[in-house]
Amino acid sequence: MKKNSERNHKYYVLGFYLLLLGSWQLFSSLNLIQDYLFPAPVDVARRLWQLGSEGFLWPSIEATLARMAVGFSISAGTGLIIGLLMGMSRLINGCLRSLFLGLQTLPTAGWVPISVLLFGLSDHGIYFVIIMSSVAAVAIATSDGILNISPIYLRAARTLGTPAYAMPSHIILPAALPGIITGIKLGWTLGWHGAVSAELIKSSVGLGYLLYMGRELNDVSQVIAIMLITILFGLLLDRFLFGLIERSVRIRWGLESNAA
Amino acid sequence: MKVAPNPEPLLTPPAMASAKLRIERVVKTFQNATQTVEALQPMSLDVQEGEYVVLFGPSGCGKSTLLNLVAGFEEPTDGTIFLDGKEVKGPGNDRLMMFQEHALFPWLNVIDNVMYGLKWERAYRFRFRARRKRAMELLEMVHLTEFARSSIHELSGGMKQRVALARALAPDPQVLLIDEPFPALDALVRAKLYAQLQDILVRTRKTILSVTHDPHEAACLADRVVVFTARPGRLKTQIQIDLPRPRDINDPQVADYARGIAAELEDTNEEEFGTKP
Ligand SMILES: Nc1ncnc2c1ncn2[C@@H]1O[C@H](COP(=O)(O)OP(=O)(O)OP(=O)(O)O)[C@@H](O)[C@H]1O
Ligand SMILES: [Mg+2]
Repeated sequence: MKKNSERNHKYYVLGFYLLLLGSWQLFSSLNLIQDYLFPAPVDVARRLWQLGSEGFLWPSIEATLARMAVGFSISAGTGLIIGLLMGMSRLINGCLRSLFLGLQTLPTAGWVPISVLLFGLSDHGIYFVIIMSSVAAVAIATSDGILNISPIYLRAARTLGTPAYAMPSHIILPAALPGIITGIKLGWTLGWHGAVSAELIKSSVGLGYLLYMGRELNDVSQVIAIMLITILFGLLLDRFLFGLIERSVRIRWGLESNAA
Repeated sequence: MKVAPNPEPLLTPPAMASAKLRIERVVKTFQNATQTVEALQPMSLDVQEGEYVVLFGPSGCGKSTLLNLVAGFEEPTDGTIFLDGKEVKGPGNDRLMMFQEHALFPWLNVIDNVMYGLKWERAYRFRFRARRKRAMELLEMVHLTEFARSSIHELSGGMKQRVALARALAPDPQVLLIDEPFPALDALVRAKLYAQLQDILVRTRKTILSVTHDPHEAACLADRVVVFTARPGRLKTQIQIDLPRPRDINDPQVADYARGIAAELEDTNEEEFGTKP
């Protein structure tokens, strides 16, 4: 019964997107929107195909993902360590939490100008933007994860003779894992925003660069095509990679049931 | 709140050494912003080596508090707790606690949970094989060898409690502290678990201090049942259970004792609520 209604729900959502795409195409075909202002879906698809076959698309996706791999690894590692310290010391938590919450109100693109001033047009500046966009989210989620650890695990660990030096690695980090993964997932999304924003201004390859070129060339199809690709890859990693890890951890930790 | 130090030693050293676990005039009060809660009034209790003592009493009378004190999670406001004549300070795996919720680590599978406590034992420190061998023996004891590689969330409630028991027994603690270990299990599973637990107890001769709300459980498992008054908890009476082991929870003699224990609790409740005619 429940399964059935869930499947119906999925069909409705699929139908919604088909309707959206269909009406967009219809509006363009009927010339209700000017095609130099806003292209039809087929134009976007054609442009995307061109970008792919001319060899612009893959290298750009690869470049952005590679920058994310470097920048976000640094950011996640740093955020994890800072979050661990925040989770274990009330003083550090008090100081850094307010700072991070403040910094988080800055839109990710807000880090771009300062990165240009500090790092010029090198890739280091892009790493900087990725790190600054995401490190606070990872740190805060990690510390929240630690502060929410059920005290029963800590007591069990102590009664089983865990020495103090082994607590972070053997108990605190694994017990906080569900929260940490949520933070990494959020951090990834923010870092992805940051990466593309930074590439808009200071790169010669990457998704942001293709967006920028599309604007320079007045090529709306390219802009929309790259926007869709950016959404697609952001979503792919967020939903599928981190989303699946998150779910399996939550099931294992008994926070969610695996009855689908 | 410290009472002035007693000039005379209360007990002579030989007497101190005789009890495995000695709880000596222990007081515990909890202080928060608005009020002071007196959880335990001066409470003294000796537990002999190999004895199974069950704490029994109305809800909120300080049973869990006493276990936490013995485990070393909390410090007594006054009084002292001795293990083998040595004062207890902080948690340690010579007094292992089994919790009301199973408290197994979900990031480890069943056998890794059982092996966990051994990692910090000198004899097993860098000996993975020895740890695994010991863990397998314990899983065999609780009849869960086929589930050694399972995740915790794949087990039933009763199975989790059995894993928790195996994990607690692994480092061979001298004293086992058990806080309502088998709540909310169906009668059949429980009867089986009691049988298993007694079997293990007879074999390992552990000193056990446990808490239960179930008079049948108390009568079935205990050598001695200690009945608490309502909060603040004090010792009300003690009931010695002189029945041979292994005991069956459905045995009429066990049921007789259970009735006696339950009657003690009713008395306390009546005192508390003033319903006695
Ligand atoms: N950390 C704490 N802070 C304040 N009060 C506490 C704390 N722990 C326990 N208490 C109080 O101490 C009293 C005894 O609590 P305890 O948990 O030992 O009762 P119990 O006998 O185990 O009850 P139950 O049978 O319901 O588990 C209760 O009134 C409780 O409110
Ligand atoms: Mg309790």
